[in-house]
Amino acid sequence: MDDKALTRNFGAADLHDMEVYLSRGGYAAVGKALKMTPPDVLGEVKKANLRGRGGAGFPAGVKWGFVPQNLPGPRYLCVNADEGEPGTFKDRYIMLHNPHLLLEGIVIASYAVGIHTAYIYIRGEYENVARRLEAAIAGALQKNTLGKNILGSGFDLDVFVHRGAGAYICGEETALLESLEGKRGHPRLKPPFPAVVGLFDAPTVINNVETLSNVPAIILNGPDWFVKQGLPKDGGTRLFGVSGKVKKPGIYELPLGTSLRTLIEEHAGGMKDGCALKAVIPGGLSAPILTSEEIDLPMDFDSLAGAGSMLGSGAVIVIDRETPMLDVLRITAKFYAHESCGQCTPCRVGTAWIHKIVTRMSEGRGEHDDIDTILRLASNIKGNTECPLGDAAALPILSICNKFRSELEQNLR
Amino acid sequence: MVKLTIDDRVLETREGLTILRAAQESGIDIPHFCYHPAFAPEGSCRMCLVEIEGSPKLELACSTPVREGQKVRTRSPRVIEARKAVLEFFLAEHPLDCPICDKSGECKLQDYYDEHGLFDSRLKDAKEKREKKVAIGDKLILDRERCVLCTRCVRFLQEVTGTGELGVVNRGNHSEISTYESEKVANNYTGNLVDICPVGAITDADFRFKARVWFLAAEESICPLCGRGCNIFIDVHPGFPRVLLPQRAYRIRPRENPDVNGHWICDFGRSSYAYLDRGRLDRPVQNKGSRETVLTREKASQIIAAKIRGLMELNKSSRIAVILNTTLTNEELFLADRVFRKGLGLKNIFVADPPEGTADGFLQTAERTPNKRGAAAIGPFPVVPGPGDLASGVDLLLIFGHFLAAQSPPGELKAAFDRIEAKYLWASHRSPLDELVDIVIPTPVVAEKSGTLTNVDGRVQSLSPALDFCSEGWPEWRALLDLAAALGLDRAYFGLLASPADVLAVMKKETAFFA
Repeated sequence: MDDKALTRNFGAADLHDMEVYLSRGGYAAVGKALKMTPPDVLGEVKKANLRGRGGAGFPAGVKWGFVPQNLPGPRYLCVNADEGEPGTFKDRYIMLHNPHLLLEGIVIASYAVGIHTAYIYIRGEYENVARRLEAAIAGALQKNTLGKNILGSGFDLDVFVHRGAGAYICGEETALLESLEGKRGHPRLKPPFPAVVGLFDAPTVINNVETLSNVPAIILNGPDWFVKQGLPKDGGTRLFGVSGKVKKPGIYELPLGTSLRTLIEEHAGGMKDGCALKAVIPGGLSAPILTSEEIDLPMDFDSLAGAGSMLGSGAVIVIDRETPMLDVLRITAKFYAHESCGQCTPCRVGTAWIHKIVTRMSEGRGEHDDIDTILRLASNIKGNTECPLGDAAALPILSICNKFRSELEQNLR
Repeated sequence: MVKLTIDDRVLETREGLTILRAAQESGIDIPHFCYHPAFAPEGSCRMCLVEIEGSPKLELACSTPVREGQKVRTRSPRVIEARKAVLEFFLAEHPLDCPICDKSGECKLQDYYDEHGLFDSRLKDAKEKREKKVAIGDKLILDRERCVLCTRCVRFLQEVTGTGELGVVNRGNHSEISTYESEKVANNYTGNLVDICPVGAITDADFRFKARVWFLAAEESICPLCGRGCNIFIDVHPGFPRVLLPQRAYRIRPRENPDVNGHWICDFGRSSYAYLDRGRLDRPVQNKGSRETVLTREKASQIIAAKIRGLMELNKSSRIAVILNTTLTNEELFLADRVFRKGLGLKNIFVADPPEGTADGFLQTAERTPNKRGAAAIGPFPVVPGPGDLASGVDLLLIFGHFLAAQSPPGELKAAFDRIEAKYLWASHRSPLDELVDIVIPTPVVAEKSGTLTNVDGRVQSLSPALDFCSEGWPEWRALLDLAAALGLDRAYFGLLASPADVLAVMKKETAFFA
């Protein structure tokens, strides 16, 4: 059995074409799932302990189980294809090269929870990807693997593609719902949670593209197989996206638990000639930074959390010795200040304030107490915001300032 | 009922309340900006973070419901630190405008800094420059530098008026409150935005730079400009020694009453306070040809009583007409009824009021006087006939209120009044009637009275003076009791009445409505 459940067939030409996909055994998982009962399908995904691949790592089966089955009215599935976390490009690869795999996951998940309408919320910048998805949906409709009475099972599902308009915050699940509803992408207070009060106040499941793309293989091969692909508590593979001055940047599908050093030095070919590794951001920009001494780490949720960082989106950003940490800090601060939705005070003002200080430092006018101020401001943001973007801003900034303080202080008066 | 502990105090409170409300009701104030009792919790200002035992993060008091056995701390070191942090963030994007800002003295940011802050600024970089004088409505000015983005204004226009003129535009620290394109905030409740803005971001263009609020005393009253009877505060300036101010009343604000007006008043009532000070009659006078004589209370009642007695003795009570109005208090209308209808047996007792308007579907009623319902419970008092008809049947006219003047062109009034032998006027404001009558007696306005008014829902509300009555006149109830005494009417009854409170006590016994 192929252990590359996600990227298998990536090399095949036109895998997005329905005929090609079908000829390679596509939609067999849907066929199998529709012959099971929805609770059984849900049970398989729960047993597999499929953890969310968007960043939070919440078990998908558990999330599906939160949807009350006794409330009247519609339920929705929202596919989070916003892929806003800097350094992350894995979902784009899946949707571009293997969109039908995602659609299969969507059908199976919807069947398990009793959902008949799904929205793929895709970032507006991915226009060509959105069109690829829409073509795939059209193809699937034609072959009755979507739409009414899928494959004669009596199960109906409509899937729509909805484009975002350029806001990182709309990758946050409740802001995504607000945006889908046509409003400003402002996160909502939780509780209530989307599984109970979600899109248009109806129970809603929100899952990441990669998460759903793992579902077909779980159904075909069983949860035990899935667990064996990775670790007992973190089953399956991840699409690690390596970027930076490595010889072979790109997407690598590897088991959870793969060593970070192995990922960088073996799979990604190690640093380019003449470049030396200084630091690694292991899970997208929101993940606290690791020094070159800290990369002997298994890439799984718990190990990275234990090291004070996070697996996040699995985007591994490699930073070389020639890249000033002040640049990294400035880009980080600028990103969060630009993307803060502005709804809550600590993030709105805090990210802007930090950005002002770092800009001043970059212009050579940094002062001796600026790092302490930045540390204090980031601590004041942490834990006090309405949504996780505040922490996503605070934690990397804290880690960069703490771990690379001496390098940063060289710039101060 | 739910029992919880806040700051080591055990409280029993109703289920479904938030921690912030439960604390408020027990006298514990948790600072907040975006929360307002009239709207659903917003949770964006982050000022109300409190510590709840068992929760790793601080939680929002404004949106966390009370639970049995909860242990809440509003002053623990963690809470104080978070509060200072949030306050510092607010202040980092707020201009040092206090010396020129109208909100100074009633500003939440000032109050919270005073109570929870008192730290020095650690901001070395520039604050965002934003527009400071955006005319978002006829009476509203928005200062975007002062705005703390609590979105109370946006939510008021969404949830209360349903008109939605304001929204948030842009993102992050560039967020600002704005109208959509060239539209303005235009409805009958825009003034409430000034009240609910916790800082000086939305201010009243009319009140701008007029007075410092710490010089103003908030006096309780009831708005007399329609039948709703909204509870209000009149902010009164007591003046300075050796300095004469042109006005006493500077501002009208809502006074919360869940049964009448909630937290709000309409713009019509809010903006119409100039009448309290302008155009007031100042002295009781008798017009004798081209001469004007100032009258004492005793002399006035002697003259008027004599005229009444004269006609009564000739059995000509049908030639006496009384015109009342429904801005009079219940006590005054009751006395008018007892003196004129029961005491003297007069039949021609009418009402002349300001013209009706359109009800606005919320607070403002079509009737534009505060006591039409009181008059209905005490009366009936029919509407006054036209001046021509009035003149042909009347030799003595007693007019309470100047509203008759607006009902007919001055020429017609004069022609009619010239045919009436004796005319006496009790009014608060100058009007064309002053030249047409024989005696003019200044009376207080509703804001200067004691008594009760009955609103459109039949609710009886009490008044006590918010302003002093500064003219040399006397209230209508005083005038009516004087007449009763001078005419010798039922001394045992009228003689015991010395105040509106006395009259109300009698009303409660005699009229079912007021029992």
